[in-house]
Amino acid sequence: MNTPKFIGLDNYTRLFDGTDQYFYNSLAVTFKYVILRVPLGLIFSFIVAFLLNMEFIRGKSIFRTIFYLPVIVPAVASSMIWIWLFSPDLGLFNSFLEALNLPTLNWLYSEETVVPSIVLMSLWGMGSTIIIFLAGLQGVPRSLYEAAIVDGAGAMRKFLHITIPMMTPIIFFNLIMGSIGAFQVFTEALIMTQGGPNNASLFYNYYIYREAFLFGEMGHASAIAWILFMIILIVTAIFFRTSKSWVFYESEV
Amino acid sequence: MKKAKRLNALALSAVFTMTVILTACSSNEGSPENQNGIKPPKEGEQVTLKFSFWGDTIEKKTVTEALKRFEQETGIIVEPMHVPSDYLTKLTTMVAGNVAPDLGYLSSGAALSWAEDGKLLNLTPLIESDPDFKKEDYLDQIWYDYAPGKTIGMSTAVEGYGLMYNKDMLLDAGVELPPTEAGKAWDWDTFIEYSKKLTLDDTGKNALDPAFNPDKIKQYGFQYDPYNMMAAVVSNGGNFLTEDGTGFGLTEPEAIEAIQKLADLMYVHHVSPTPLQTKSLPDMALQTKKVAMTVSGNWALQAFAEQDFNLGVGVLPKLKESNTLLDGAPTVIFSSTKHPEEAWLLYKYMADPESVLPLIAGGLWMPLKKSWYTDPELISKWASGNKAHPEGYTESFMKQTLENGIRTPGFEVKNLTKINALVTPALDLVWTGKETAEQALKGVEPKVEPLIQGYYGR
Repeated sequence: MNTPKFIGLDNYTRLFDGTDQYFYNSLAVTFKYVILRVPLGLIFSFIVAFLLNMEFIRGKSIFRTIFYLPVIVPAVASSMIWIWLFSPDLGLFNSFLEALNLPTLNWLYSEETVVPSIVLMSLWGMGSTIIIFLAGLQGVPRSLYEAAIVDGAGAMRKFLHITIPMMTPIIFFNLIMGSIGAFQVFTEALIMTQGGPNNASLFYNYYIYREAFLFGEMGHASAIAWILFMIILIVTAIFFRTSKSWVFYESEV
Repeated sequence: MKKAKRLNALALSAVFTMTVILTACSSNEGSPENQNGIKPPKEGEQVTLKFSFWGDTIEKKTVTEALKRFEQETGIIVEPMHVPSDYLTKLTTMVAGNVAPDLGYLSSGAALSWAEDGKLLNLTPLIESDPDFKKEDYLDQIWYDYAPGKTIGMSTAVEGYGLMYNKDMLLDAGVELPPTEAGKAWDWDTFIEYSKKLTLDDTGKNALDPAFNPDKIKQYGFQYDPYNMMAAVVSNGGNFLTEDGTGFGLTEPEAIEAIQKLADLMYVHHVSPTPLQTKSLPDMALQTKKVAMTVSGNWALQAFAEQDFNLGVGVLPKLKESNTLLDGAPTVIFSSTKHPEEAWLLYKYMADPESVLPLIAGGLWMPLKKSWYTDPELISKWASGNKAHPEGYTESFMKQTLENGIRTPGFEVKNLTKINALVTPALDLVWTGKETAEQALKGVEPKVEPLIQGYYGR
């Protein structure tokens, strides 16, 4: 909190040479979260969107509203609700497991389960991704399906050879946005776990917050934030590189 | 008819004039140029101070009213800034942006390190040049010195720790009530025995019964936030750092023993809920008879007084000696203030128990002045005869805190926030029963040692 002094790259060397004991830990925790949450999030929202797009489903707008609703709930409020759902003694999840005679979990309160628990909670709030997928699904030209039916294609083939390729730009968009969002996970750690237990949910952004506002190390926190920026930049760049080989744009044919 | 009309006109114009005057008043009230009423203490410009603080609705109300009274008595305008949550985040941002308030509450760790960085005012010159203020009138333990002879002031309030319990539950179980005098404090074995008697499983057997089922406890004898373990550590003669300030005190035998004894309450004696089980307990665990006894700081009395049960208080059970913890975050003056003298006036005013009496009588705070602990007339204003201060309070909390209150590490340990960032995860392992106190604390010791920088003010 004193007047800034120029110290060159000291803040960065402190991170990489291990003087700062939390840097690698928080990177590991964050990557674990991203790796779990991004694919699961994409698959989950795609499935929900696909089901919502089925012709036989009645009252689509109601379901759409239900799935979108969590997005409107402020993150702090939903975190409070989920704290109760995750409660080891009184929580809904553990009552459920107990009713099925399965062993109960400590959810947010054990090092092994805290990140998966937060991933589970984040799936609940995937409304925007679902809506974008849904819009994409509705944009797939009917003529393609009709042509496929004429050619004798079954449901699986239609899905694999029409739906998926036509959806790749949307999947690509959601992949990028989802990864960026996942790297910046923060509120859950702040409200529900404060980085605990034993730093097992010390997400990168929470780590920045802690350095800046609890330890008062503004310069150090800024250095950490720059590294996050670089990480996101590199990850996004990699996705863009690979996109040429799997993303299909109709206009480019 | 004409007369009536004239009367009407008169009434109308009266109302009109009144409105104009009233409007003028209300618009003037907030403006710094207010010259009506009280004369400002200095010629020329009107002084405005910004006072930042946290707290629940009751604290907000009392503090705001005290600030208003100060305004009326001195003519110095005070802008209250109540920050209900994320206080330190807000203050850090303000200080970093050079728009800090003039004075306000601050958490102890930030306060001492900001003082070293010159962000807070050294109050020693102001205290020494003030004939009306005597340092000796205030408790000795509450001063936050950041270097020898340099202080950022006092803790905002005094918070002593003690035992609080539901009297009916103890009487029902036939347990003698906890002593209120330091000399008669329960030793640890007595305490465990009574706690066992008060711990019941779902069939109503207590923890002394060999058939007691520790997996189905429906009433706990004793509940206590283990992260306040310093109370047990100091009672066993230990402390956070070694006496000379160079070593990690929590790995000394006294501290390890005390911490292990607390963990054993959960995992060996089964009289205390684990941190996980605590998450499922209601806030009103004493009233709802989920818990018979608890240890907390004085502030808990405010909430207990609003609940409907027979509250009792006693001194803490002792390990080696009977003492207690004394806690309290400081109120500080920021060095960026343009009006240090006026800020000091307000500082003194808020430190006077009389100014914030509702909070003290309500059980949230204990007063800063010694006379309020010794003068029977002043004591009767807060520490007895109300629901927040049950019988025995004056002995078990008031006297104990004054005479045997040991400061929490926050008052004097350097670099505490960073040390705790390592110690808390290690203690997580103890409180969840994964490691013994010795394993966990010795395990983290090599990482803690480079961060130890000794004590402030010594």
